[in-house]
This record gives sequence, C-alpha cells and structure tokens, in this order.
Amino acid sequence: MSQPRLPLTVISGYLGAGKTTLINRLLSEPHGQQLMVLVNDFGAINIDADLLVSAEKDTLLLSNGCVCCTIGGDLFMAVADALDRTPRPEHLIIEASGVAEPSKIANVALAEPDLRYAGIVTLADALNYRALAHDPLVGEQVKGQVRAADIVLLSKGSDQALLLELAVLANAPAMALSDDISVSELLLELNPDKAPDIAAHTHPAYTSWSAQEPREFSRARLLEKLESRPSGLYRLKGRLLGPDGGLELHVVGAQISVSACEQPSIGKLVGIGPKQSLSQDAIAQWWA
Amino acid sequence: MSQITVYRAKEIITMDPNQPRATHVAVMDGKILAVGGADCADQWGTAVHDDSLSDAVLMPGFVEGHSHMMAGAIWDYAYAGYHDRIDPDGKLWKGMTDIEAVVERLSDQANALPAGQPLVAWGFDPIFLPTERLNRNHLDQISKDRPVAVMYSNFHLMCVNTRALELASYSAETNVEGVLRGPDGALTGELQEMAAMMPVMRRLGIDFRGLSQTAPAIRSFGKVCTRAGVTTATDLFATIEESDIDTLTRVTREASFPIRLVPTLGAIGAQPEEIAARALHLKTFNHDKLRLGAVKLMTDGSIQGWTARVKWPGYVGGQPNGIWNTPPETIFDLCEVMQKNAVQMHIHTNGDEASEVSIAALEAASRKHPWPNSRHVLQHCQMMGRDQFRACAALGICTNLFANHIWYFGDQHAALTLGEDRAERMDAVRSALDEGVRVAIHSDAPVTPMGPLFTAWCAVTRETMTGRILGEAQRISVSEALYAITLGAAYTLKMDHEIGSIETGKKADFAVLAEDPTKAKCLKDVAVLGTVINGVQHLL
Repeated sequence: MSQPRLPLTVISGYLGAGKTTLINRLLSEPHGQQLMVLVNDFGAINIDADLLVSAEKDTLLLSNGCVCCTIGGDLFMAVADALDRTPRPEHLIIEASGVAEPSKIANVALAEPDLRYAGIVTLADALNYRALAHDPLVGEQVKGQVRAADIVLLSKGSDQALLLELAVLANAPAMALSDDISVSELLLELNPDKAPDIAAHTHPAYTSWSAQEPREFSRARLLEKLESRPSGLYRLKGRLLGPDGGLELHVVGAQISVSACEQPSIGKLVGIGPKQSLSQDAIAQWWA
Repeated sequence: MSQITVYRAKEIITMDPNQPRATHVAVMDGKILAVGGADCADQWGTAVHDDSLSDAVLMPGFVEGHSHMMAGAIWDYAYAGYHDRIDPDGKLWKGMTDIEAVVERLSDQANALPAGQPLVAWGFDPIFLPTERLNRNHLDQISKDRPVAVMYSNFHLMCVNTRALELASYSAETNVEGVLRGPDGALTGELQEMAAMMPVMRRLGIDFRGLSQTAPAIRSFGKVCTRAGVTTATDLFATIEESDIDTLTRVTREASFPIRLVPTLGAIGAQPEEIAARALHLKTFNHDKLRLGAVKLMTDGSIQGWTARVKWPGYVGGQPNGIWNTPPETIFDLCEVMQKNAVQMHIHTNGDEASEVSIAALEAASRKHPWPNSRHVLQHCQMMGRDQFRACAALGICTNLFANHIWYFGDQHAALTLGEDRAERMDAVRSALDEGVRVAIHSDAPVTPMGPLFTAWCAVTRETMTGRILGEAQRISVSEALYAITLGAAYTLKMDHEIGSIETGKKADFAVLAEDPTKAKCLKDVAVLGTVINGVQHLL
C-alpha cells in the first residue's frame, strides 16, 4: 500500500445536537493534523477569519491545512474523492445528516481497504434528547444513532442520569462535552510514539493512558486480551512485539483491528476514554 | 408574415372540451394557430398543407411529471432486468426471466468489450426471481478475468464476480456488514448498501454522477422521452452545480433537443434560504425548452424497501416503521421558506405518515405566507386515502401518483408490504379525482420505464403482473387517464397555459400515435410514432 489508510470518523446526532459546534472546534484546535471535514452545508460552520485562507462555494481552505467541503449529491462518491485527493488528508471526518444511520456511513471504513475505522461519535442535546427519544416520528432514528455510537457526547449541559441512560443504550462511554476540553485529543489519532512513557498526564475530562510494553504477544493472545478491555475505553492504539514481526492494533469502540507490521524495538500503547467511564486503575489493571 | 402549416391527421384528440376532436391543426411560429377541419386556418392567410402525419393520431405531447435524467445514460451500462425494455436508440432488450438468461446476455455483452474492461449492468431485481439468489459463481461464468458488477434496480444492492471482489480486497477474512456470505462461509458476491458497494464502484469506475448533467446524458434523456411520446419531462431531484448550467442551457437550446426539460433542484446541502435563492437563481437561465425554478424535497424511503414512513398498523410483516430522509422539522422549515420565497415544491411522499407530515407542513407554511396558486405537488402519494386528498384539495396541493407501481409491485404490496386492503387502495387516483385534487400519474423512470400510455393503462385497469385487478374501486376512465398524462401533469408544472392540450395559442407539441388510444384494444399497446415540439417533428 503506497499511502497510509485514511482514518474515518463519523459525527452523528439529530438536528441541534451540536454536530457543527464540534466540527468548528475540531477545525480550529491546534492539533497539527490535516483534517478533511465533509459537512451537509456551510450554514453554521464558523471559522475564525484569521484561520481561513479561501472560501469557495463548496470548499473552505484553512491555514492549518484543514479542508472543509460540502458533501453534495453523493456522500460515498465524496469519500472516494477524499481518497483520491493529493495530498491525501490525514483524517476524514463526516458530518452525518440529522437523520442518517451513522453505522451505514462508518461501515465504508471497514469495507474500503484505503480507509480505517476511527469511530462513530454521536452527540445528544442535554435539553432536548429525552423529548426527541420519545417523539413518535423521529424517536427510533434518534435512539438508533445513540445505539450505533462508539462514544456519546452530551452537549448543552451535563446530566448524570441522562449520561448513564445514553451509555447503557449505546453500550459505549458517554461524557458531557464541556467547553474547556480538547476534542481533537479525544477524537483524532493517538500517537504512541509521542505519548508520555506512562500515565504521566492528567486531564480534566479524559483518562488517557500509555505504556511501553516489552512483552511479546501472539495475535490470538492479543485478541483474547482485548476482549476483556474496560468498557469505558473509547480508543486504543499501538504496536506490539510479536513472534513473527510486530502487531499493529487499532481499537475504536467495539471495532478491533489487528494487523501485521514491522517488529518495533519496544511495544507501545496509548488509550483514551472519558474520565467518568474509565479510570487509570481500571486500564492499568487490565493491561498488567 | 411567418409560414402557416396545416397538418392533417387521421384524428386529433385535443383535450380541449370546446372541440374535443379535430382533423387538422394549423401551426405558425411553433405555436398552434387554429384547430378544426382543413379550412381551420383559412382566415389567417395562405397556408401550406402537410399530409405527412395524415395516417397518425395526434394528442397533446405527453407530460412526464416525475422522471429522472439518468433514465437516458443508464443505458451506457448493460441491461439485466426482468422486463422488456427499449433503449434510447429504440432497440428492444428482452427481459431476462431467469438467472441463466442474465448470464447468457451479459456474456454476449462482455465479449464485445475490450479485454479487462469491467462489465457493469443495471436493472436486476431479485424480487422477480425468487428461486435462486444471484451470486458470484453465476457472474464468474461471464468472465473470470474482467470485473463484472450487476447493479440491482433499487441501486441499494449489487452482485459482483470474484475478480471484482479481489479488486476491492474482499476475501474470506472480510467481515463487513453488507458483504454477504453463504452458508459455507464463502463470499457470495452480493454487496448490500453503498458502504459495501463503494470499494467496488470506485475501482470499476462506476460513478452515477456522470449519468446526469453531461451533454450526452441530457441528449439521451431526450431520446427516451421522444420514444414515449413525451415532449415535457422532469428531472426530479437534480444536482445542478454552477458549472453544469452552461451545458444544460446549451444542450436544451439545440434545435434537435426534443423536450421541454423541467429539472427540479434537490433541496439538500444548504440552509433553506440558500436553497430558495439557488432555485430562483437557476430560474434566470430559463428558456423555451428549459424550465428551472422548482425544488424537490425528500421525506421518506420506499414501501417495497420497507423504508417508507407508514401510519398504523404499519407493515404487514411486522417490519419496523421506515425512515425519514429529511427530519420532519426540516420538512416544515423547507416548506415555510420555499413558500415565503415563492418557490414551487415537489415533495416525495411514499408512506401515509410522510404525506400527512408534508400536508401539515404545507398548511403551516400557507398560514404564514399565503400563496393561493402555489401548486406544490406531493409525489408518489402511494398510500394517501380520501382524508388526505380532501386536505390537498382544500389547500390547493396537487398530487402525482405512482400508477406504474400497481403493475410492477402491486402483488408484492398485497403479499409483503401493506397487506390486502391497503394494497387495494394504493395509488388511489379515483379517490383523488373524486375529492377534487389536481392529478398527474408517473413512471419515476428509470425506476419503471417511461411511457405515459402504459402509466395511463395502469390507472385505468389496475392490473398487476400476475393479472390480478388490484382495487377495482380506484379505476379511472381512459379519458381521465389521458387528461392526467397531458393537462393534469402540465398543471403540476405550472405549464397548463402553454402545453397539455391542442388549442389555439398553445405550443405545437404533439404525441404522434399509430391509433386512437380511446378506441384501441389495449391502451398500453398503442404505438408511439414520435413527437412534434414547437412544430418540429421528431419521428422515430
């Protein structure tokens, strides 16, 4: 394969759930990655004028290397166009429409060899979610988006009971999306090589964990280990020593991918999840 | 003074109650100058008498109020469907009623292609071939070296051969939803939904965007229309970029382009105000044969795909209710903003819950921004009952019903989707007319073939593929059906003052027929000989 696989994250949620706000934050945080964001329309995309290089009818170009495009008539052809773009972006983010089934979109990342699954993020609005979930017209579709989520982000306030309800429905971690947290750290690619050696950093909203791992893992043993991972772990990434070359692993929500790679000099792992669903102890104990 | 030409016909069915029948029509400057007997234009001066259509029956050019431009260029791909179809160049492609026939036909097509070039086919529908599922072993018989992909008629599924699976790196290890496996665990070749299909489409160069808005696609659509006697047709959910406008205006202006094209902009991808502004901007490019300015809204899915939003008691097989492709509150927003900006809407509504929400949205919009002659059109309207038609009549909402569904899918609806009694009252044209609604009927080409006389036959007989009469009470008369495919559809496009009947002052747009459809043994078998648009003949 000539180019690395393009990670694809789907941002889902009903109208008003805060998808655009999240995208605005992803585009403007200093994460250093060249994102390509596909949105339904530019209506609420709000880029700081200092960051905007050019704005055409269907493309916004940012000085940090990010690009934001409207999806146009065919989402999947827009994804194909993203793959053919030179240089290829480092991460593809899709804003699903307010009634889209996000798994039908994210599934393309499992099907297409040039893409890599990087998660379904479903937003729920703390003020309106309960009413929407019981709405006779759209309730099932709204709940379906939560069920498909690898992580649920609650916008417009925090509500512990609702977070619990969402986490149970999604069978995935749920957390409140406060204004002061870095969303790129949670949602974009983790870099095991840049991560601190071990559990050295603390964060107000997330538990992030990293480890150096000298042990050797067979594929089967690694898969078995991953089966028992803590439920609050949203993403885990790393390279481990294997008996016949290295093993590269990507875990996002329920999706596990283990593939062969060059034998690393030492194994490294990095993982992240919402603080309220995942503790340092839980992850450290699991991996130990 | 311009030339006056008086055409003699075997019979002219005018759809004008003042003079329902005539033998001659006088044309000047592309318009109808007079209608009547041989002397109808004598008052206007010297006329040339033309007998070239004297063996034909003329009707107003048919109006297809719900079709898609890809009905033309889809024929760039090989046909793999169950029913007989005629391509834009007039070639009859016999339907393939078993898998062996599909394999045989596609093998012939594949052998005519350069080595290695993918064979892509369309129109296959497993609903009509229930015995065995198409799989890659069948398609490997067509070719082992060249990729083969058969797209199903609903465009949600495809089946591909082993070579195509390999190109997409699908293998025994692939564990992806929509990439199907057989009982033995091996891939069957069937791919369901776009996510699973996209890796193959990308590598085989299948891109449906090229089937609309290119010059050959537009011309090809014109040919499809002429074969059906259609002189005005919609492209009902067009994606029109600024860069497409030049091609669209240039091709539709060509003297040889045989229809008035009515593309309606798909109302997605922007805020409602921007969409309205875009529609009004497009309207500035209009000319005689190009009529932009309306928009198309999506609401729900399809009944046979169990994705239409249906009211209680739902689907007869217990399937969950369908899905909204546009959230109801966005439907309300769009309706309000389009109404405010005087942009006409065509609204896709298959299930009765979708039509209910759409009617409510239009009523709310009309209370805020009164527009008495708005003529918004509900499209498909397949489950609407008399209550909803009464509401439409009260609000001035038009309905364009999917009459072809009765023949193509009526048996399936009775058995699998809605059950007996609701299937009998599907596509209730009789109720719509009785409740005073403006009615058109349509093909949704390429979903079913364009052919207004076939569509009229469906509404008249309500016969299904198995010969059953589905809902005798909803039958309409031949003259009502002929009205629906001419003036009825013209009304829904706000063009009834220009087209839809053969009367003085209107455009000289005719369907040229081999016999009188009101006297023919079978309406659907009346041969179309061609059309006339603006007085210019396009004979087959």
